[in-house]
Amino acid sequence: MKSFEKISQQTKASSEEVVNLGKKKKYDPHSFSKKTNIVMNILLALFAFLCIFPFVYVIIISLSSEQSLAMHGYRVIPQEWSLDAYRYLWMMRSQLLRAYGITIFITVVGTLLSVAMISMYSYAISRKQFIYRRQFTFLVFFTMLFSGGMVPFYIVMTQFLGLKNSIWALILPLAVNAFYIIIMRTFFQRSVPEAIIESARIDGAGEFRIFLTIVLPLAIPGIATIALFSTLAYWNDWFNALLFIDDPNLIPLQSLLMRIENNLDFIAQNAHIGAQSESLMASIPQDSAQMAIVVIATLPIALTYPFFQKYFVRGLTIGGVKE
Amino acid sequence: MKKLSLFLVIIMVLSFTAGCGGEKEVKGNPDHELDHVTLTWYLIGTPQSDLDKVLEEINEYTLEKINATIDLRMLDWGEYDDRMQVIVTSGEEYDIAFTSSWANNYSLNARRGAFLELTDLMDEYGQEMQEAIDPAFLEGAQIDGGLYAVPTNKEVGQQAVLAYNKELADKHDLDLSDVTCIKDMEPYFQVIKEEESGVSPIATFDAFLPFDSLLQEEMPFAFRLEGDTTEVINKYEEEITHDILSTMHDYYNKGYIRSDAATSTDSWPMDVQNWFVRKELYQPYAELLWSRSSGYEIDYVPLQEPYVFNNSVTGSMQAISATSRNPERAMMFLNLLNTDPYLRTLVDKGIEGVHYELNDDGTITDLPARVEDYNMPSFAIGNQLILPLHDDEPEDKWEAFEEFNDNSIPSPALGFYFDPSAVRTEIAAISNVTSEFAPALLKGAVDPDVYLDVFNERLYEAGMQKVLDEIQEQYDEWRAHQQ
Repeated sequence: MKSFEKISQQTKASSEEVVNLGKKKKYDPHSFSKKTNIVMNILLALFAFLCIFPFVYVIIISLSSEQSLAMHGYRVIPQEWSLDAYRYLWMMRSQLLRAYGITIFITVVGTLLSVAMISMYSYAISRKQFIYRRQFTFLVFFTMLFSGGMVPFYIVMTQFLGLKNSIWALILPLAVNAFYIIIMRTFFQRSVPEAIIESARIDGAGEFRIFLTIVLPLAIPGIATIALFSTLAYWNDWFNALLFIDDPNLIPLQSLLMRIENNLDFIAQNAHIGAQSESLMASIPQDSAQMAIVVIATLPIALTYPFFQKYFVRGLTIGGVKE
Repeated sequence: MKKLSLFLVIIMVLSFTAGCGGEKEVKGNPDHELDHVTLTWYLIGTPQSDLDKVLEEINEYTLEKINATIDLRMLDWGEYDDRMQVIVTSGEEYDIAFTSSWANNYSLNARRGAFLELTDLMDEYGQEMQEAIDPAFLEGAQIDGGLYAVPTNKEVGQQAVLAYNKELADKHDLDLSDVTCIKDMEPYFQVIKEEESGVSPIATFDAFLPFDSLLQEEMPFAFRLEGDTTEVINKYEEEITHDILSTMHDYYNKGYIRSDAATSTDSWPMDVQNWFVRKELYQPYAELLWSRSSGYEIDYVPLQEPYVFNNSVTGSMQAISATSRNPERAMMFLNLLNTDPYLRTLVDKGIEGVHYELNDDGTITDLPARVEDYNMPSFAIGNQLILPLHDDEPEDKWEAFEEFNDNSIPSPALGFYFDPSAVRTEIAAISNVTSEFAPALLKGAVDPDVYLDVFNERLYEAGMQKVLDEIQEQYDEWRAHQQ
């Protein structure tokens, strides 16, 4: 690595010298001209701002007072700042903490499980020696194109597997993703050469040993990608909880948010339950509290992303055999 | 070989499915002593953290009375409808479920065969309940001559009112007692608009139209409440609709309605004092409820007489599922729930001494635990008129309910449920057109002189006439059977 960087630096330097000798103007083939650079910087800054602004806006709304929201609507600089929303969250902390716990549990266990299952399955069907490779690939491919629909899914989960009101109902449906299996199979075929597996076998390694000590380390970039996707999928999942969970102790964070949203929609559409809905209205957090929940539900996962990204960049440069 | 193995897999899956679907228990003879059963009960409402604690007490009582335990599952407001749809379609076994015109659609499920027909069961196991419930409910909730759910005894009439902020009215010496329709509000709105800067005279609402609407409120099919009440009409073609919408648009232009009314989904919470008038549905002493929950005084003026609509009699009911293994016991439980004040209070208010305190005069006072951990939707559970009163409620509350019910006028289409299956495509098209035009028109955001005609034209293009004819035919047939 290091020596490669050195060499590239040297060539860069020497090419600069050559250019400098020819013309007075400094010319670097690896960089933009000054004007393009400025334009590019402005465009990218704008784009970055557009990406970040909604989230900043959410934070601002979570910090404005309910009164000023009701009177003046959403403002970039609110009429009145207030921490009431977070005080409200503090009041419902036991529920939030439990939801947090559930979310973290299903994310960690789910990601580990799905990475294990996906990598093993796709490694098996990536090996030419595996006889039923075509059939198993077809099975995966088939589920990618066709699905049974919600009701059969519900019947299988609740009546055959008996997973209603169980934490596994939140983990198992997302554990194996057909699309990731196809990605990983291609990845194994491309980045793990037959030669390296053969050499391991000559040294006396069995299939599992080959998989764990040779293939997996080589496939780290691919696995990191899939782990990130799974983590996000588990963290953001609310639908399975909506279908299978009645027990308020098993509700994950995003589902809690979704419930609040659904309830607000419901009230907006069913004004006619009228006089009797006043207690319902009081039990649902208002705008700023909702935004505060969004903030605490999104921040942790947003903060983990940079760590993953660093890992990607390093991982992608690792290679097994140089040809 | 390859084909054979695939075939084998399919056979295996099929036999597995058949094996699981096939188990059904043969029911025992109901004459001898009752076996212990567990009843699954789906109820709408935010799941409460003390539910398990209260369920223990409930089960102790029901075990003794009918040898059954209750597995009460609460599904939150916004998801109840979707969840019940999946549960019903998947054929899941459950015993009792909340149903109504606005969630877990009663007439649709009854027609589909998802609910049991209850007349015989009720005659056998629910006589006390039959006497306790207002006959208007039991009659109005019948579909094609059969009763498919037990209606909750509560206010039977529906009355649209304008609720207003009394503090503001007093401050500016406004007397609203002569107001009978939204048109009369003009001078008051003007005062509020001029004098109160942070207050919107109208908290966004759909204009009140005096019809009995079929299907959803916004949809055009309706019956008149006065004049020729036997003809089904497109309510957007009526003179009075045009008048009311013009008034609303006039208010919109004058700034009495917020400019984003057509698209806004703001819920206008009552406890924020930034509105002067809103549309609500009334029940006796609702003004006290509103005032208590908002923290300032709210009063009302009626927009119509209380009417009994299909929507109001089917506003809250409990159905027994067609998949129930113990419909008799479910009926016994419903009977108990609707006639036994102890059980009814326990389910609704929680445990005495934990969630509420019983006062000497028979009223109750909420303890903090009830508001935080056991806040149940009272109107969705069962007979409201046997509940104890809160200490701050008027003594004659339930008498007022009964009087209100006696004074409610039956709508011309009470008990008529339209079966839309023959004109499903037309209704879908009409529903699309309606959701495009109705919100802006009803909230006053667009000029009815221009858009009402366009709207009606589009409705007829979408097949309005065919649906009107179909409804009229079904209605005439239904009426012939009534006499």
